Amino acid sequence: MDEQQLRIFVDIVRQYFDRETGRLPEIGSPHLGDASALPIYDFTGVIGISGERQGCVYVTAYREMLRALLLQVGETDVADNNLCDLVGEVANTVSGNARIHFGPNFMISVPIVVKGSAQAIQVPRNIKAYIIPLRWHKHEAALVVSLQ
Amino acid sequence: MFKLGLGKYRTIIVLITLFLVFDVGVLAMTFLISKQIASDAVSLNLAGQQRTLVQQLTKTALLLEQDATQGIIDSSGQSSFSELKELIGTADQFNSTLDAFHQGGRMVEGRGKVALTPQDDEQAAEQFKLLEEMWVPINVELQKIKQLKSDTKPDLGPLLQVLVADNLNLLTVSNMLTSRMESLSATKATNLRIVQVAGISLALVNFGFILYFFLRQLRTSDRAVERAQKETEDILRTTQEGLFLLDTEFRVGLQTSQALSKILGISDLAGRDFLALLKPIVTPKTFETAKEYIELLLRHDVKEKLVASLNPLDCIEVSAAQPNGAIESRFLNIRFNRVFDAGKVTHLLVTATDITRRVRLERELKESERKVQDQMGMMVHILQADPSLLQEFLRNAIKGLDQINEELRTGTATAGMSAKRIDMLFRISHRLKGDANALKLEAIAQSLHAFENLLDGLRANPSLRNEDFLPVTVRVKGLYAEIHAIQDALTRVAQVRGVVTVEPPKPAQDPAIAALPFVHQWRNFAQEIAQRHKKAAELSYQGLDLATLALPLREAINSIVNQFIRNAMTHGVESPVERKQRGKPEAGRISVYVSDAGDGYLELSFRDDGAGIDPEKIREAAVRTGRLDATAAGLADMRKLISMIFEPGVSTRETVDEDAGRGVGLDTVKDMVARMGGRVRIGTTVGEYCHFRVQLPLGGVAANASIMDTNQEAA
Repeated sequence: MDEQQLRIFVDIVRQYFDRETGRLPEIGSPHLGDASALPIYDFTGVIGISGERQGCVYVTAYREMLRALLLQVGETDVADNNLCDLVGEVANTVSGNARIHFGPNFMISVPIVVKGSAQAIQVPRNIKAYIIPLRWHKHEAALVVSLQ
Repeated sequence: MFKLGLGKYRTIIVLITLFLVFDVGVLAMTFLISKQIASDAVSLNLAGQQRTLVQQLTKTALLLEQDATQGIIDSSGQSSFSELKELIGTADQFNSTLDAFHQGGRMVEGRGKVALTPQDDEQAAEQFKLLEEMWVPINVELQKIKQLKSDTKPDLGPLLQVLVADNLNLLTVSNMLTSRMESLSATKATNLRIVQVAGISLALVNFGFILYFFLRQLRTSDRAVERAQKETEDILRTTQEGLFLLDTEFRVGLQTSQALSKILGISDLAGRDFLALLKPIVTPKTFETAKEYIELLLRHDVKEKLVASLNPLDCIEVSAAQPNGAIESRFLNIRFNRVFDAGKVTHLLVTATDITRRVRLERELKESERKVQDQMGMMVHILQADPSLLQEFLRNAIKGLDQINEELRTGTATAGMSAKRIDMLFRISHRLKGDANALKLEAIAQSLHAFENLLDGLRANPSLRNEDFLPVTVRVKGLYAEIHAIQDALTRVAQVRGVVTVEPPKPAQDPAIAALPFVHQWRNFAQEIAQRHKKAAELSYQGLDLATLALPLREAINSIVNQFIRNAMTHGVESPVERKQRGKPEAGRISVYVSDAGDGYLELSFRDDGAGIDPEKIREAAVRTGRLDATAAGLADMRKLISMIFEPGVSTRETVDEDAGRGVGLDTVKDMVARMGGRVRIGTTVGEYCHFRVQLPLGGVAANASIMDTNQEAA
């Protein structure tokens, strides 16, 4: 994965926040993480990728951030179901835009939403994943790109 | 085809034909006999009628006689006239019936005419004859009366005389005739019953046979069909391939193999539209091409083999998302074969195979080859580097990269990376670059250098944002990958060394010298070629430690010895069987000796106890390769011939393999020795040995070019 491809994912997430809330998230210092030590917060939207590269890309966020995001867009029901839907929508946006950017060589799945449990997310072993921390209204989230 | 069908149903057809024949026969017989019985009934009636007519005639005659004697006649004579008329009428009727019985004819009986046949029964004929005889005199008298004029009073005396006399006899004969007719009719009726019973019985038996054969045939056919069906089911249930028929409307056939659903990941496929199933699992472009391809195959005018290579479904990747977000990718191969009926394409047989394992293995192989190629470049430096220093470098490199990553990780979203931190990254990188250079790991050093350039660029940027560090992170990941690649390469080297160390040591005169790495390498090389050619060899070495020589000389010696080993093992050393026959040890012996000749030259002695150089083989090779014509080759002396083995393209081997046959090995030696200013001498005895002696100048290139000496000790 080169810098340009990585930047596409970052831009998609950033534009989502900008479009939905009118406020860009702060991008943290990008770094690498082993498969066993990747950030998994309360809610995670995962898209699987196959084809030219195999692996997954996910957006993970704390409950508080998603609640704040829902309230920001005018949704007052902040039950877990809605939070799941929201993180799924973010992942769906990543999935849809990534398809446009990466073309047919990348096969991108529809998003899967995982609540909690880190074990439920399957990332490629033995490779280091890119972790891009996100901060929005003092709430933390992360974009993780783990591709072979 | 019709003949085949008839053969199968021949018995049944014969039986049905018989059944019909019996039925028709019975019908015909019934018709004929019934007709006769009907005719007999008429005859019987008429016979009975004759009896009545006789009585009536007698009565009428007696009445007429009585009228005449008693004078009971009215003025117009009407009464007598009517009785006379009746008498004549009765006589005519009797006559015509008799004629009909006798000669055949048509008679009015009852409401219509009936046909009488002449009586062919002897008894009846006799009775007729008798009746006729008794009737003749009566008839004569009657005809006389009939011929009288109407106003003439008839004389009935003669008539009554014969009539009364024969009346009883006529009655008796008529009765007998009637009884005979009844008897004949009864016999025919009995015959009819027998014919009907026999015919119907035969027909029923025949029908039984039909049923038996038909049911047996049906059961045999059913069993064959069931067995074929079972076999088909077994095949479809067991095969690992997805099989189904596709009709011209692109519909999946009703029978599919059990594996199909699993392979395509779709259940209940029978009868569904294949294109609709295909659409969601392939790209739109592949879908369109596949549709066109299938349409092409269904056309009669396109050759299947010609379009087979166009199959877009030869290798398709299908993916399904798992509950944990991962995508499970599989690779499918879908092939199409035409199914013909009466020369027309009616279906396509579709075979879907899961080739995931094969594709992954191919990819792994490619990846592995790529890695090997990458590692080969590194190997040279890795093998030259001190292993402990190298390991230490790798540990430090990982540690350094971890430090860099930790610095990146702890850079907060708000504060970001400070210039101070960038300096720290730079220092770590620079230290690693120095270590890499020291170990001649140029690729790593270059990557670290590029990393430093990147950091330099960032340092010069006054308004740094965290996302500006994306290329840094990408570069760090690349460095991790490079370090891991070296670790992998080292692991491979360790594995190879592990194999080598378990090999039993070869005997050598000087254990210390024999254990030197270059000797080890020569010995292994000799063993390796020996194994390939099913030979055995032992290499011994005496002399200098090559490590004490200058690198160019060392490399030259090593290269020359390798060529000599290859040459000895492919051309010189015989197979164990041949050696045994010649009284030699089974393993060929190769002796290598390197010494300082003391005259400024280094001497390499290489000797094997193989078959030596056969001049005849060189002659043949020289002619085969066009170096010499047959005459020149025959005249060439040993010196000339042996010098030819150093010429490019001349090999005594007629076939080429990885070890010999191209005639380049000794040419390379000659070229190398010539460039270094040395010379080569050869001694050989056919069937005993071959000895190469190479002299190379110790201190640089000598003034003279190479000189080739040969020392043929036996021909």
